[in-house]
Amino acid sequence: MSAAFSVPEAAPAVAWREVAVRYPYAANLAVGPVSLELRKGERLLLLGPSGCGKSTLLGTITGLVPATIPAEITGEIATLGVPAASRSPAEWSASVAQLFQDADQTLCGMTVGDEVAFALENRALPADEIATRVDRALAKAGVPESWRARRTAALSGGERQLVALAAALAQEAALFIADEPTAHLSPDAAARLHAVIGGEGETFLVVDHRLDGLIGTIDRVAVIGRNGALFAEGSPRDIFRARGEVLAAEGIWRPLAADLDRLLCGIGIVLERPPLVLSEIIDGLNRLSPADRTAAGTVIRHFLSDRIAGPTASTRPSCATLVHAACAPLFAKPVLHDISMEIGPGETVAILGRNGAGKSTLGATLAGLLRLKGGTRTGPAGGFAFQRPETQFTEGSVRAELESIVGKDAASIDAILSAWRLENVADQHPFELSQGQKRRLALATLTADTRWPFLVLDEPTAGLDAAASNEIASRIAKIAADGRAVMVITHDMDFALKTCSRGIVLDGGSIAADAPLIDLLRDGELLASAGLNAPELLLLVDWMEAVPC
Amino acid sequence: MLSMLHPLPKLIVCLVWLAASIAVFDPRFQAGIVVLSALAMIVIERRSPLLILALMIPFALFGFGFLTTATLFREESDFATRMAAETPFGSPAFSAGIVLFLRAIACGMVSAVFVLTTEPGRFIKALMANWHLSPRIGYALFSALHLVPDLASEAQQIRLARAMKRGRVPRRLPGPLETASLVVPLLAFAIRRANRAAIAMEARGLGTVSVRTIVGAPRLRPADASFTIVALALLAVLFILTSGVWRAW
Amino acid sequence: MLTTRGWTLREILIVAVLGAVFGILYLAWVQVWLIAQAIFGAVTMDVVMGFWFIVSIIAAAIIRKPGAALLSEVLAALVQVLLGSPAGLLLLVTGLVQGAGAEAVFAATRWKNYRLPVLMLAGVGAAIASFIYTWIRFDYGALAPGLLVTMFVLRCLSGAILGGFAGHFVVEALYKTGVLSGLKIDHERRLQRA
Ligand SMILES: Nc1ncnc2c1ncn2[C@@H]1O[C@H](COP(=O)(O)OP(=O)(O)OP(=O)(O)O)[C@@H](O)[C@H]1O
Ligand SMILES: Nc1ncnc2c1ncn2[C@@H]1O[C@H](COP(=O)(O)OP(=O)(O)OP(=O)(O)O)[C@@H](O)[C@H]1O
Ligand SMILES: [Mg+2]
Ligand SMILES: [Mg+2]
Repeated sequence: MSAAFSVPEAAPAVAWREVAVRYPYAANLAVGPVSLELRKGERLLLLGPSGCGKSTLLGTITGLVPATIPAEITGEIATLGVPAASRSPAEWSASVAQLFQDADQTLCGMTVGDEVAFALENRALPADEIATRVDRALAKAGVPESWRARRTAALSGGERQLVALAAALAQEAALFIADEPTAHLSPDAAARLHAVIGGEGETFLVVDHRLDGLIGTIDRVAVIGRNGALFAEGSPRDIFRARGEVLAAEGIWRPLAADLDRLLCGIGIVLERPPLVLSEIIDGLNRLSPADRTAAGTVIRHFLSDRIAGPTASTRPSCATLVHAACAPLFAKPVLHDISMEIGPGETVAILGRNGAGKSTLGATLAGLLRLKGGTRTGPAGGFAFQRPETQFTEGSVRAELESIVGKDAASIDAILSAWRLENVADQHPFELSQGQKRRLALATLTADTRWPFLVLDEPTAGLDAAASNEIASRIAKIAADGRAVMVITHDMDFALKTCSRGIVLDGGSIAADAPLIDLLRDGELLASAGLNAPELLLLVDWMEAVPC
Repeated sequence: MLSMLHPLPKLIVCLVWLAASIAVFDPRFQAGIVVLSALAMIVIERRSPLLILALMIPFALFGFGFLTTATLFREESDFATRMAAETPFGSPAFSAGIVLFLRAIACGMVSAVFVLTTEPGRFIKALMANWHLSPRIGYALFSALHLVPDLASEAQQIRLARAMKRGRVPRRLPGPLETASLVVPLLAFAIRRANRAAIAMEARGLGTVSVRTIVGAPRLRPADASFTIVALALLAVLFILTSGVWRAW
Repeated sequence: MLTTRGWTLREILIVAVLGAVFGILYLAWVQVWLIAQAIFGAVTMDVVMGFWFIVSIIAAAIIRKPGAALLSEVLAALVQVLLGSPAGLLLLVTGLVQGAGAEAVFAATRWKNYRLPVLMLAGVGAAIASFIYTWIRFDYGALAPGLLVTMFVLRCLSGAILGGFAGHFVVEALYKTGVLSGLKIDHERRLQRA
């Protein structure tokens, strides 16, 4: 059934005409009405605030919505020239590879090798062809050979996402759909993914909130608003300059460069070509007159001060201490050895490291959730925001989840709901939320709880849009100002820089560095050996220091 | 290594052993089965003897009920006597409770040998390749088999999440009330996992068509024949030794 | 799609995982039974029996298609065998018989009615089937008629309460967790409410 489809050459890869989706018995549309085309060979980025229906829209391409995920659909969807509903989701797998937002939706719980071969087996390809394709996909995604016999359930969050990527790549389908593929990937793995998307030939449709590094490979951007309707499309450079204000108001991510460009335009410095990366802005700045450069310098200093956390002095006694600790994931052997560290009141600490370095394990151990396999831990328990937000949910609705923390006080619940933009889904079940809404709910319950002397947030920004990311950043600052401590486990270097003053780098099963964050991020050798990248923002810091203005 | 064997002959051998331990009502026979399967795990599979002992605990607990009725109350539970009457090779000289106790361990150990040395993926592949199991049913079974070990870690995660809401670290082992309160969340987890697996499998082409390649399906090798012969011979020897048939010669 | 007789992959998977979870719970329940029996004596088995029918009732109430009750009960038995139940392979027959008893009741409603009384009746159905089976297996004919009647009544009650009523309770609790959304149970409930 694989190659038998003949596809009209001129037809777009996907065409939505007036498509709207409503989940069963929901009051509001989940998305739509949307009319949009994805052309053959094009790399399209779909942007929109969290909860606007991006994942739902992607689900309609192969008919998973409504065939497996029940929903009502109006409008027409044509995939590769034929109605999406004319084939079953399983039949579409020969021509459409789909990487879901939640890696557990892409993976079936087999060993890594079986998982990657699964789609090819279902297409009844010859065994030796499957073997070569699997090898190719594993190499492309950067999955080490040694993982083949490991079960996907025993991998770290990012490792799972990487295997899911390999499984989707192995399909070698004409159309590749990726829903937030980099949310849990460390910078080096994310760069590999961006290289895949930058490759020639196939048609890509990507949804992502982390744009830096991705945006250069994109041909066209389509933007869905909070109301679920499409409101802009065009080339990335045009969209971010022309619609910057609207995007900001909708809480949608923009590249750092676009953000700064907007401020510079405000003082009359308009670069000829709308920039997508900071290096383009710096090139432009270098060509400015000294007077303009001084003006720009003022703007940039302000821009930077918003995005780099100031130093905090920790006061003793510490909140929690680990001494020569051996830390192990649940029901597994230790992955971290001889860890000694402490976290003091008012501190904000970023935990950095490549996928599988042991960050989640360290965080959960420090919070007192995992038992040590050696060494000692002292101090009270801390709050922990799990990497998979669903782990946190124990109640039947969003409101009940909050009530279990704050009590039945309607006013304070409403305040929290509106701060995290959850008011429209207050009565929905936590498991029927979009990924970003789940993350917001988990963070909302944890930060509303004032009992914790310190919090550990595991990948808090995965799945968040700009608005929610700002919200959590300001909460972190507030918690630290209250004299409590926050540990942030993240792959988002810009977020780390914005919220944390101290950094800990994990590598090779132990702490490779523990120092002020900005110093760590400037240590190129350390970053390279730990699989990290310097944040783009540092280019600007360096420029400010080199060019006195 | 038992885990390298083809799962299907191994399954048949284990089933024969299970059937034998149910058919023969003799504590020496049951004890022999326990010892042999423990030895197989320790010598061939190189599992630690401690682990094997730990494995026996749940099965022993399981059989304990039979034992308590037999010894504490000085009478056999009617279930035990009925079971004794039902078996063809019974020896009335022994307390039925003790036999049932050992039989619980014996059956448990034989199953443990199979389960611990068989990777569910290989097992399902063998079933699909050799016995023409439909792929949809096959992968459903596969998910069910993988769910069993994952339930423990999920239960722990739920306990951690609850403990966090209450603001203290959970106890090491859940009490009976806490265990009961975990049933519905665990069921919900299992169903949610089934929902996700359905999406994952359909999106990657597991349809109703049953023609598919099976990569890495286990193949029969000479070792499988030797294993089958040795295992059945051992069982026969054990039966002859314990049943006293040899005295007739 | 919601009204098709054929099973979707999602439904097959759900029955499979239900079988797995209840396979484990059934094994644990054997322990409860044995302890209770040590204390209360002979008829305990009939009193606790109902719980071993529960998965067929839960699966049927969720999936609402022919075969759900039977399949889930057999699967639960299979998982028990794999995990090392001392009852061994005979358990598969037991599962088959009990599942068929429950299935027969649902068949009598043409797989249309899953209200509490029907679920309790399905528990009774499974109890009757299992009673016939144990009659043959353990030669109940030899027992005193009075004891037989007590055993039969107790087992039917247990099937209705520990199987049907408790099953209903679990289904309600599961429904509240939202994981059943989009399944036939959800569809029919929402239609009822509308
Ligand atoms: N299974 C479901 N049942 C009911 N409502 C749902 C379900 N899944 C999502 N929704 C709702 O539909 C809307 C769109 O969800 P969707 O997951 O498509 O958003 P999204 O744009 O992908 O968001 P995010 O960026 O957070 O992933 C949300 O308001 C969400 O609460
Ligand atoms: N349940 C498990 N069983 C066995 N090994 C595990 C398990 N969970 C994680 N691991 C392993 O432990 C190591 C550390 O995992 P951890 O989740 O702490 O990584 P991480 O740094 O948080 O990675 P990521 O950035 O991908 O989330 C990894 O090598 C992972 O493969
Ligand atoms: Mg989404
Ligand atoms: Mg992690």
